[in-house]
Order: sequence, then C-alpha cells, then structure tokens
Amino acid sequence: MLRLETPIRIEQIEDLKIGDQVEISGRILCGRDAVLPKLVALLRKKDPLIEKIGLEGAVIFHTAVSPAGIGPTTSNKLEIEDSIPELSAAGVRLHLGKGSLGAETVASLKIHRSVFAVTPPVTALFSHRMLSKQIIAFEEEGMEALFEIQVERLPAIIAAAHGRNIFEK
Amino acid sequence: MKITRNNISDAAKKCLIEAGTTYRRDQFSAYAKAIEAESSGNARWVLEQIVENARIAEREQLPLCDDTGIPHVIAHIGDACILPAGWLSALQDGIAQGLRDMPGRPMAVRGNAVQRVEQSRGLFDDPGALEVAPVLVRPVKGSQFKLTVLLLGGGPEIRARTRRVFHRRSIGNVVDQAAAWISEEIGSLGCTPATIAVGIGRSQVEASALMLEAMTEGSLDVQNELERRITDAVNQSRVGPLGLGGATTALGCFLKIGPTRASGVRIVCARPCCLVEPRRASTVLDSTQP
Repeated sequence: MLRLETPIRIEQIEDLKIGDQVEISGRILCGRDAVLPKLVALLRKKDPLIEKIGLEGAVIFHTAVSPAGIGPTTSNKLEIEDSIPELSAAGVRLHLGKGSLGAETVASLKIHRSVFAVTPPVTALFSHRMLSKQIIAFEEEGMEALFEIQVERLPAIIAAAHGRNIFEK
Repeated sequence: MKITRNNISDAAKKCLIEAGTTYRRDQFSAYAKAIEAESSGNARWVLEQIVENARIAEREQLPLCDDTGIPHVIAHIGDACILPAGWLSALQDGIAQGLRDMPGRPMAVRGNAVQRVEQSRGLFDDPGALEVAPVLVRPVKGSQFKLTVLLLGGGPEIRARTRRVFHRRSIGNVVDQAAAWISEEIGSLGCTPATIAVGIGRSQVEASALMLEAMTEGSLDVQNELERRITDAVNQSRVGPLGLGGATTALGCFLKIGPTRASGVRIVCARPCCLVEPRRASTVLDSTQP
C-alpha cells in the first residue's frame, strides 16, 4: 500500500504503475459532469479563480458531495473524460473515479504526467475518512458544485499510468 | 392490535434507513466466500474495501453508497388485515422522513414534465422530496401487513433490460438470454460484483414487478440451479470486482418466474444489481397481534 499526500509531486507520479494500491490523504477537489467543463472554461480564459482553486499537484475526485456522502461516478462520461487532458496540463496529478478511460485520454495522461485511479463506491468508509468539506466554486450547482474536502487514507487503485490502462484486455 | 398510520410511517422510515445502511447476513457471507475464492490481489482488495464499508455503514448508520437510490416499496397485505384510511400516504410520509434522516442524496428534479426531463430547473434540496415509485401490492393470507423497501441505484437501472425472448420450449434458452444481456452490460457497470435480478412474465410491467419481487425474496445463501447457471455464465466474463478482472463478477442471482402466456415468447426483465444491492429491508405489522 502506497501513501500519497496532496499536493502530489511529479516524481511521485513517475513511480506509480497500474495496479498499485494507494491511500490518498490531504486536500482533494470534488467535481463531476456539471462542474468540470466549467472549470476547463475558466482555464481557457485564464480566469484568476484558477489560481485560488489551486490545481498544481491536485487530486480531482469525480463525485458529487451530498448529505449522503461521496462516491465515484463513471469517469468516461463525456463531460468528465473530456476535462481530463486540460486539467492534467494545468497540474492535476491524479483523477479519481471509476470505469475505463479511452486510449486518447490515457495517452494524454502520460503526456501531462498525470494518472487515473479508481475506487469502489464505499461511501460509508469515505465519510469515516473525510475530515471536512466546503464549496470553493460554482455554488449554483448544489451538490455538484466544486468542493474541496480534506481526507485521510482514501483508498484507490491506479488504473491508468504512463500510457497503460488496467482495463485493457 | 390496530395498525395505525403512525405504525406504518414509522415502519417505512425504519425500513428505508436499514435498507440504505445495512448489508444482510447472506451478503456478508457471499463476500467472505468471494474473498476466499479470489486469486487476484486487487480483486480481493476491492472486496475487502466493500466489506469494510458495509461494517462502517451498519455501525455508524451511514449510507452504503452516495447514490442512495429510488425507493421502491412492496406491500404484502393479508386478506384479514385491516389497514387504516390513508395507509398509503402514511407509508409515503415514512419514506420521505427516512430519506431525510438517513440522509438520502437530494435527487428529486424540479419543474414541469419537460423541465424535469431536461433537468433545467435544478433539484430540490430536500432528500424527502424524492417520490416513491409506484407501490407494488401483493395479496397474502392472514392478518399481516409486510412492508419491504428497496433502494434502486442509477447505474443498474440504465443497464437493465426488459425484452421478449423466444423460449423454443426450453427454460435454458430463456435464462441463457438473460445471462447474455447481463454479460454484455456488466463491464460498463463499474460497481461489480453484481447480484443479477431476473423476472419472467407476460408483459413488460409484470416482468419488471417479478424482477422486483425476486430482489425482495432472494438470498445469496440459497441459489437454485437456474440461478447458479446465470451467475456462472456472467462470471465467465472475468470482469471482476470494480471491472479490474477476477473470478467474482456476480455474487449470485435472484430469479422469479410468474404466470406465462400461451405463446412462443416470454417477457424477461434482467437487472445487474450493483455491489451494495439489493438494498432491502422488511418489517411486519399484524392487525390481530396484542
């Protein structure tokens, strides 16, 4: 079991390989279908809010944050998967969700030295390990706003790294 | 004892919370067997995380999954059971309160018919605003009112199928077709291992209702030959826990066969219930018990 503390450094990414079991601690951003395209739009127009959000070394968990807790949604939904290359280029080092990503996305992760990890929808366990949560942007999206959470030992498996995909047959 | 509206509301609320936070013993036992049988380290690790999640959920009364599901209720009403006027609205009130107390994910969509489809006016903040699906009522003998609450998540719903199958005078043809549908879909479910629920009936509505009843009655500890046949076929896909590969794509199958039509076709509803499902809880109220 590898321990990852956020912000994650590029050297740590270089050491990860598909199939590695990891536990992530620290600050994690949470967003899914509704908010990730908005985050990419901010990036494209070089909005100062990006600096405030802080993407360098970040982990983005593809989840809503509701009173019920958190849990991964399928990452190959159009709005989510499309956001991955640009967010990786902007410094996001680990994208966390579930399901397989397309070959182009996996290739883009390699280019931008980022990885994709999957985690089961173990909401009670996540709630147990979530220390705090707050909305940091796009409040109008409610539970699908961009949230920042603090976690301790969030479990995941590296599913795509260095151009390889664990789901490939 | 007279069954009151309050009894019904309270029972519905408790069932909803139990369904959303608690694994049954047969689920724990099926996971224990699956962990033992898996040779893949990552598959075993995923299964262990799922069991740990269930233990925490039960101990701390937390939702098993953040998709807390759409509440479905099955009411088995005895022919000698006396229910108060307004029992159905009392049941709906209890479900709403359960969703608030658990708490459920606020998933009710605002607006008129078109706005709801387009989701253009956002969501209600109140988890209790989520309407119960049409209640399935079944007659039984006696004075009891048995209430079962099921919570149906979105991932399995978009991968379930209800279609006709030409039986060609063989049950094998029918169950093999159901297994083939599930095998096609299971890789995209993500939240495996699944439990396969299958209903076989005369119409789309009846097959779906039978599938729901299968989810209500089934046990992973007791699997008949047809259920094992479907499970084994799906497990041959080697999709494994979380899609990472492995022996355990399905933990088991719950199959319910209803009346059939004089015809060469059967209507089959097959649903790949996700790794926390079937989330269900039941309670019995008795109108004669002192």
